[in-house]
Amino acid sequence: MSEAAEDDRAESIRMIRDSAAAVAPRGGDSKRVRALRFTDPGYDPAVLRQMGEMGWIGLRLPEAAGGAGLGMGEMCALAEELGAGLAPEPLIPAALSAALLGYADDQAALTPLLAGEALTLTAWQERADSLVTPGTPDAKRIFVPMAGGATQFLLPLREGTRMALHLLPAAGADLTIERTQDGGTYGTLRPDLSRATRIADDVGGVIGRVLDEAALATAAYLLGTMEAAFALTLQYLRTRQQFGRIIGTFQSLQHRAADLKIQLSLTRAGVEGAAAAFDAGATGDAARAVVSRAKARAAEASLRVTRECIQLHGGIGYTDEYDAGLYLRKAMVLANQYGSAALHRRRFLETAPEDEE
Amino acid sequence: MPRQLSTSPSETGSDAMNAVTIPRPQDLNGLDDESFRAVVRRFLAENYPPELRNPPKRLHWSENKVWYHKLAEKGWLCPGWPQEYGGLGLSPGKLIILTEEYERHGVARTNDHGIIMLGPLVIKYGTEAQKQRFLPKILTGEHIWCQGYSEPNSGSDLASLRTEAVLDGDHYVVNGQKTWTTLASDANWIFLLVRTDKQAKKQEGISFLLVDMKTPGITVKPIINLEMHDEFCETFFDNVRVPRENLVGQPNKGWDMAKALLSFERIFLGSPRQSAYALARLKQLAETMGVAEEPAFRDRYAQLRLDLDDLKALYGRFVEVLKQGRSLGPDVSMLKVFQSELFQRITDTMLEIAGENAGLLEPIGGNLNLNPTGQYIQARPTSIYGGTNEIQRNIIAKNVLELPG
Repeated sequence: MSEAAEDDRAESIRMIRDSAAAVAPRGGDSKRVRALRFTDPGYDPAVLRQMGEMGWIGLRLPEAAGGAGLGMGEMCALAEELGAGLAPEPLIPAALSAALLGYADDQAALTPLLAGEALTLTAWQERADSLVTPGTPDAKRIFVPMAGGATQFLLPLREGTRMALHLLPAAGADLTIERTQDGGTYGTLRPDLSRATRIADDVGGVIGRVLDEAALATAAYLLGTMEAAFALTLQYLRTRQQFGRIIGTFQSLQHRAADLKIQLSLTRAGVEGAAAAFDAGATGDAARAVVSRAKARAAEASLRVTRECIQLHGGIGYTDEYDAGLYLRKAMVLANQYGSAALHRRRFLETAPEDEE
Repeated sequence: MPRQLSTSPSETGSDAMNAVTIPRPQDLNGLDDESFRAVVRRFLAENYPPELRNPPKRLHWSENKVWYHKLAEKGWLCPGWPQEYGGLGLSPGKLIILTEEYERHGVARTNDHGIIMLGPLVIKYGTEAQKQRFLPKILTGEHIWCQGYSEPNSGSDLASLRTEAVLDGDHYVVNGQKTWTTLASDANWIFLLVRTDKQAKKQEGISFLLVDMKTPGITVKPIINLEMHDEFCETFFDNVRVPRENLVGQPNKGWDMAKALLSFERIFLGSPRQSAYALARLKQLAETMGVAEEPAFRDRYAQLRLDLDDLKALYGRFVEVLKQGRSLGPDVSMLKVFQSELFQRITDTMLEIAGENAGLLEPIGGNLNLNPTGQYIQARPTSIYGGTNEIQRNIIAKNVLELPG
C-alpha cells in the first residue's frame, strides 16, 4: 500500500471508531445496556435501524450490492467499539446474513436487512462448538443469537455436493428461546422446509469464509469488551484505598495488571493482524489460521481479563449493580461463539504452516 | 472419583443404615468417630427435606426454616455449643465429621449466624444475663441473626471500620453503614463491630454490639449479586439508639473477640467439598459434550483430580490438629487459597468445554447437574469472601514464612 493509501485507510478506521462510539459509548453509563437485558428481543430495534443507516450491516458488501465496500480492518474496529460499549444489537450475525444474501443476490431480502428494518439470521449450526455447516435438512439448528428478534432465517441445506440456501419466515416458525448470561437469547429452530423458499443453488464456496469473518469480528468485539473491563479495573486500582494506601501501589496487584496488559496487547496484535491479512487478500488456510489464532487468544484472554476484573475489585465486583459483571457475562457468551479456544487451537495447527527454524 | 452427592446414603447401604439407631443428643459426643458418622448419615436420611438438597443458591429463611425447626426439635441445631446451653457439645473432631456429612448430603445452610457466630461469642464473652436472654431465642428460631462487619470502605482492611457508637446516657447511638450483611432482610437481630474510640489504634477502638433490627433508624437494602440473588444487603444506621447492656465483653475489645472466634471456622473455607462436587459435575459435562475421552481433556481432568486429592490430604492434616484439641495457625490460609482457586479452575474448564452452552443463563436442558455458567459465577467470590486470597497470601508470607516488610 502507498503511504497515501495507508493514511486513507487509517482515516477510514478512525471515522468508523468515532461513529461507533457515538452509538455505544466506551465506558459510558450502562443504563441502556442494563435496560435491555433479559427483555424481548434483548436489543433495541431502533438502534439496529440506526446501525443500518450508518451502513454497518453492509459494511463488507461491495457498493454495487448496496454495501459500503469496506475491509475487515474497518469491521474489526467497529466490532471492537461495540464490544467496549457492550452493544447488544446483533450486528455480527446480521452482517453474516448480509454476506450470504449478497452472494445470493436476493435484493428483496437484502435491502431491509441492510437498512436494519428486518433481521435475517442464519441458522447454520447443528452441533455445539463447531464451525462447519453440515446443512442436514431435518436437523434442528441451535444457538441462533438473538433469534427472538428475527424476521426470517437463512438455512443452508445440503443437496448432494451443493449447499443450497433457503429463506424461512420467522413468523410461525418452530422456535424456542433460551436466555443468555449477557441478557440476550439463543434460539433453537426446527425448520419446516415446506415453508422455505430456495434463494441460491450453492453457497458452499462462501459460507466457511463468511463464518470466519464472523469469528474474527467476534474476537474484535471481545477485545473491546476486555479493554473496557481493564480500563474499569485500572480506574479502581488508581482510586480504591485500603490500609491507608491506594491499592494500585501494591506490587502484587501491579504485576497482575501488567500481565493483563500483555494479554490485551497480544489479542490486539492477533485481531488487527488477521484483519490486515484479510484486507491484503489472504484466502484458504492462510486466512483460517490467522482467524483461529485471533479467536483462540481473544476467547481465553477475555475470560481471564474479566475474571481478574472481578477479583481485583473484590466484593463490589460481585454485585450486579457494578459493571464488572456485565463484562464477565459478555465474555462468557462470546468466548465460545463461532468456535471456542480449543476448536480454534486445533484448527490453527491444521491450517498454519510450520515455521522453518 | 469424589463421592457423588446425588447418591443418598439410604440408597448405598440400606442394610447397614437400618442397623444404626440415633442416640439422645447428649450421648452423641461419646460415640466413636465411625459410629458417629453413621448416625449423622442416618439422621440426614430420615430428617432432611429431599427437595432442599444441593440448592443452587443460598436459601432464604422462608425456604430453610423447615430444616431449622426440625434441627431445633431434634436438639441438633447447635452442634458446637456446650450441652448446658442446649448444644450437642461436640468436640472439634466430631464437628468436622458432622460438617463433612452435611456437605456430602448437600444440606443447605440455614440462617445460621446466631448458631455459628453469635452464640459461641456470647457463651465465651457474654454476661449471664446476656446468655439467658439471647441463647434460648436462637434455639427456638425466634431471633434470626445477621452479621454487620464489613463496610463499603473497609473490606480487606476491616479494622478501619467507621460505623460509630457514641455513648449517650444509657444508650449507644449508632451511625454508619454496613455491607455484605448476609440475609439481613431475613434477620431481626444484628451483631455489629462498631468504633467506640476514635483516638485509639484502629484495632483497639472497636466494640461488639447487639442490635434489635426493629429499632428506629435502621434501613436494609438488598444487593443483587452476580447470581442474580439477594443474599447480601447493605444496612444503614441513622442515630440508632441501642441499650448499653447490649454491648458484649469489654468496650474496645470487640476486634480481639471477633478474631478469636474466626480461627476455628477458617478450616471450613478450605473444605475440599466444593471442589469435589464441581469436579464430579465437570465429568458429567465432559460426557455430555462428548470430550470425556479426548486426551487434552483427560490430561486436564487428571491434573484437577490430583489437585483435589492433594487438597484432601492437606485438609486432613489440619483436621488432625483440631482433633488433637490444638488451635489452627496462620498456615490454614494455604487451604483457603488452594481450595478456592481449584474450584475456580474446575469451573473455568467447564466453560472451556461447554461450547455455546457457556453463555446460557440456566442449566443445560434444565439439569442442575449440568450448570457450567452457574458454577462459574458461584466460583468467583470464593477467592474474595472470608478474606481475599491476596490477604491470605499476605498472611502466609508474613506470619508463616516470616518474610520481612
